[in-house]
Amino acid sequence: MSNKNNKIPFSEDNYTHNINRLNERKLDRRGFMKTLAGAAGVFAISSIPWGAVAAKELMGLGEKEYPHKKIADVDELPIGDAVEFKFPGAHDDAILIRLSENKYVAYQNACTHLRCPVYWVKDQGEMICPCHHGKFDVETGSPTAGPPRRPLPEIEIKVKDSAIYAVKVKRYEA
Amino acid sequence: MKRSYIGIVILCFILFLNIIFTQSMVHQFFYENYVNTLIFMGLNLLLFPTAVIAYKKTIDVLE
Repeated sequence: MSNKNNKIPFSEDNYTHNINRLNERKLDRRGFMKTLAGAAGVFAISSIPWGAVAAKELMGLGEKEYPHKKIADVDELPIGDAVEFKFPGAHDDAILIRLSENKYVAYQNACTHLRCPVYWVKDQGEMICPCHHGKFDVETGSPTAGPPRRPLPEIEIKVKDSAIYAVKVKRYEA
Repeated sequence: MKRSYIGIVILCFILFLNIIFTQSMVHQFFYENYVNTLIFMGLNLLLFPTAVIAYKKTIDVLE
């Protein structure tokens, strides 16, 4: 800014010296500090949704319960057998397996690899996806062999008045 | 008249903390430690007024 004044025309390496640009493309110390403070504001605001969802989870609003749905009567399902049903929606295939007198497990049986239906193979004691021979542990739903890497979503089961009801889908646990 | 650059140093450090807290917050969220997520969100929120105060206090400081 030193000796530009009083020299007409002052030397400047562009042809637009008659346009007053007000230093609009210059980032000085003050502007840089303003940018940094603004960045802190952006960080603060953008972290609010994460906290909001976390608070929602903490208050238990994420635990969604579907209307209970009757799957089968206890008498109809011998030990070691499986029955397929739909839960929670009309297109969400699921499978219920009776492991012992009082032990039932149920999973959404779309394979976590490419969503082929997973079947209960009684002789081998495993849940098998025929598409790519993915295998799942029947007790936990976790994958034991083949391409799938994630467990099958478990469905909570309730037995009431000698009938089996699906209560809710357990949260996917990483 | 030469301005001090202490404000820039402070604000850069605040930005650094912002980045750390944000990343920790996201990680804690996916690890389902929701209390920690809330803590890091609170820290991130606190950094904004801190940054504004740091800006106002240091913008006219001379060397």
